[in-house]
Amino acid sequence: MESSQRRTRYVLKRLFQAIPIVFAIVVLNFFLLQLAEGDAVDVLAGEAGSATPEYMAELREKFGLDQPLIVQLGVYLKNVVTLDLGYSFRHDMPVSELVLDRFIPTLLLMTSTIILAVGFGILLGLVAASGLNTWRDTAISIFALITYATPLFWVGLMLIVVFSLNLGWFPTSGMENFAMFYEGWDRVVDIAHHLVLPTITLSLFYLALYTRLMRASMLEQAGQDYVTTARAKGLTERRILFVHVLRNAILPVVTMAGVQVGALIGGSVIVESVFAWPGLGMLAFEALFARDLNLLLGIFLLSAVLVVAVNLIVDIIYSTLDPRIEMA
Amino acid sequence: MNFKTLLMGASFVVGLTLAPLVAMAQNSGGNLVYLVQPEPPSLASFLSTSGPIGLVGPKIYDGLFDYDTDLQIVPSLAESYEVSEDGKTVTFKLREGVVWHDGAPFTSSDVAFTVMDVLKQVHPRGPNSFREVTSIDTPDDYTAVFNLENPAPYMLRALSAYESPMVPKHLLEGQDLRSSDLATNPVGTGPFTFTEWKKGQYIRLDKNENYWKPGLPLINRIVGRFIPDASTRTAAMENGEVMYGAYGAIPNIDAVRLREMDGFSVTTDGYAMINPMALIEFNTTKPPFDNPAMRRAVSLVMDRQFLIDNIWFGYGKPATSALSSNFDKVGLYKSGLPNYPASGDLDAAIKELDDAGIMPDADGIRASITLDLIPYGEDWRRAGEYMKQAMKPLGIEVELRYEDVPTWLNRIYAEYDFEMNVNYFYQLPDPVLGVHRHYGTDQIRQGTHFVNSSQYSNPALDALLAAGAQEPDATKRAGIYGEIQTILATDMPVANLFEMEFLTVYNDKLADHATSAMGAYGPFENAIVAE
Repeated sequence: MESSQRRTRYVLKRLFQAIPIVFAIVVLNFFLLQLAEGDAVDVLAGEAGSATPEYMAELREKFGLDQPLIVQLGVYLKNVVTLDLGYSFRHDMPVSELVLDRFIPTLLLMTSTIILAVGFGILLGLVAASGLNTWRDTAISIFALITYATPLFWVGLMLIVVFSLNLGWFPTSGMENFAMFYEGWDRVVDIAHHLVLPTITLSLFYLALYTRLMRASMLEQAGQDYVTTARAKGLTERRILFVHVLRNAILPVVTMAGVQVGALIGGSVIVESVFAWPGLGMLAFEALFARDLNLLLGIFLLSAVLVVAVNLIVDIIYSTLDPRIEMA
Repeated sequence: MNFKTLLMGASFVVGLTLAPLVAMAQNSGGNLVYLVQPEPPSLASFLSTSGPIGLVGPKIYDGLFDYDTDLQIVPSLAESYEVSEDGKTVTFKLREGVVWHDGAPFTSSDVAFTVMDVLKQVHPRGPNSFREVTSIDTPDDYTAVFNLENPAPYMLRALSAYESPMVPKHLLEGQDLRSSDLATNPVGTGPFTFTEWKKGQYIRLDKNENYWKPGLPLINRIVGRFIPDASTRTAAMENGEVMYGAYGAIPNIDAVRLREMDGFSVTTDGYAMINPMALIEFNTTKPPFDNPAMRRAVSLVMDRQFLIDNIWFGYGKPATSALSSNFDKVGLYKSGLPNYPASGDLDAAIKELDDAGIMPDADGIRASITLDLIPYGEDWRRAGEYMKQAMKPLGIEVELRYEDVPTWLNRIYAEYDFEMNVNYFYQLPDPVLGVHRHYGTDQIRQGTHFVNSSQYSNPALDALLAAGAQEPDATKRAGIYGEIQTILATDMPVANLFEMEFLTVYNDKLADHATSAMGAYGPFENAIVAE
């Protein structure tokens, strides 16, 4: 009872602490984005072919771009406090609508990537560590090195060439089959089918990281006193490995996975572009080139919130894995 | 028998006779998935001439005319037209029985509203195309009389669905045109109705069952897909996931490979109405390009054929004048002008500079400049690399600058902070529409994109441009444009490089998609996909 109370208090405290952090991120992003030359009106008018200076001035007024910077920031912060992320001039839609719409594909891609990367990373690291300096270890290490060193977009394109063009197993791009427009379970299967190649591409890089981390962590734990103790108690190697060592060795991997959720959104820009996956990464990329700053800020804000939330979840998992870690 | 049952009976009989026809048409059409790249900002083709909007808009909206591959007028919403003796009145007879996608009838009041209250007000090129239109009379529902200040022969070439889409008055009147719901939920009279736009993924259009051309369109559904990565676009084409890609959606380097494969074709048809021209804009207000000799020298040293052969894989034609040779068809093009060699002429360029007294310094340098490049893809970057090398023996040291679109637009058209800029423009079906904007003094409009950024001003030329726009007599008009081209070949405020040939790559299952001069910007009502 006391422990669950403590946990709730801890979560609330952490959430409270996160507010100024998110706030600082918003302000910092706002000023960083002002450094780019040209604004949304330039892009809109450029795309339209031409426009009169009067029209452009009118647009700037409408978008509030003619206001002093500090006023624009004030308006933006006021909106954010009321959970209004503003309006995307380019898409002619509220930012929150756009961002939430694109958040689901990203979440899908991120979740499957984390599961694949962490799951296989732990497994491969375990296999490598348990067969130290055997051919298994060497093969896994080489695999990890290669996948880590290969550029993401190249991996993506090669997977498309092999599995879409040559073998015809998977579609090249997109999230759904647009000639058919499936519904119900057919649609779920269709989306899962489209998800395979982007997930593998994005996972490979992180997979390498987790494999190496897991292997090192396993080796470190294997030399600890408690392992010797366990062995002295007469426990089987199997039990020592899976119950004692694994539980401790997994901690750094979980920490790393938490830290990398933010980086994952960054990495997904490339994967989303290559596979035309309609996620946040691609939206952010396009928003930058369209100088759609409201939209970009909205995406950054959501990412920041996501990172804070994931870190909180990681800390909770952490304390479950290792009860000695206090929640204070 | 009351009226209602009579009506039902009649429609039943009509339905019976038409049913097999309709069923056949539905089975024959198939679904078309094509590339729309990049994702359009909106579908308001009455507000923007943006390329991706052009790929979708004309399938939803009709124009008064369409144009065949020889640029001749084909009736569309207007069945016929008549120009008065003095050229100042144009009377359009409109098609009867056309309805908007929401069921309201299309009438002459829609035409008057579209031209006077929409295109003349908010369209990027509309104010220019309809400059001379002072009012539009609508004596009856199917007659629209355009009253002109001066004759405007070029106007008849600006009435396609892409350039001047007819929009519904009853949905737009009294609204803020620039934030109307129609921008994301278009309602036209065209062959396809708008169904859905899933941001980041696709735009879906479905067959307009009430289209005024009987039995058309043939395709049941059109889906425009957005795929940001060029290699993936090619893979999707190869895999049959998309069937059509125009305007460089498939890069030339991949197009020449697909051309050799079974099941795919490549064509340069369908761009006659656009007439794209690659060119260099000089900043004529500051050294070194305030000196016409410098500009001529750069034009002389450019190996136009090299650019075409090595960077654009043989697609394109060297420019020979300020006007595209496509204007030969309408008698406006003048050949045999100086300063436009197909292959670079270094000796002539050096002589040009020497004669003008622009001498190299001790290091052999005559000028150090920065060359800006249009940020629309790798081809332009490679072209820049070539130009840098080509100008070196002239003693012109070049630094290349490649920025993102907003920065570049701001630099060239708002700040005029450049010396030399590589770009391309659509010359469109008439010079008044597409060429005048480079050279007129009234086209020096700071902050406006894609106009006279060279800031070239020549009163003699201004007078000729004004005369050329209004001259109804074809022979006299040709004479005026001949003079214009001679002046421009000497003054060279802009060096035209080559007439671009865009490539359309398509799956052979798709047929009859390029039946109009508009190509990818056309309605696709005749297009058909084999099962």
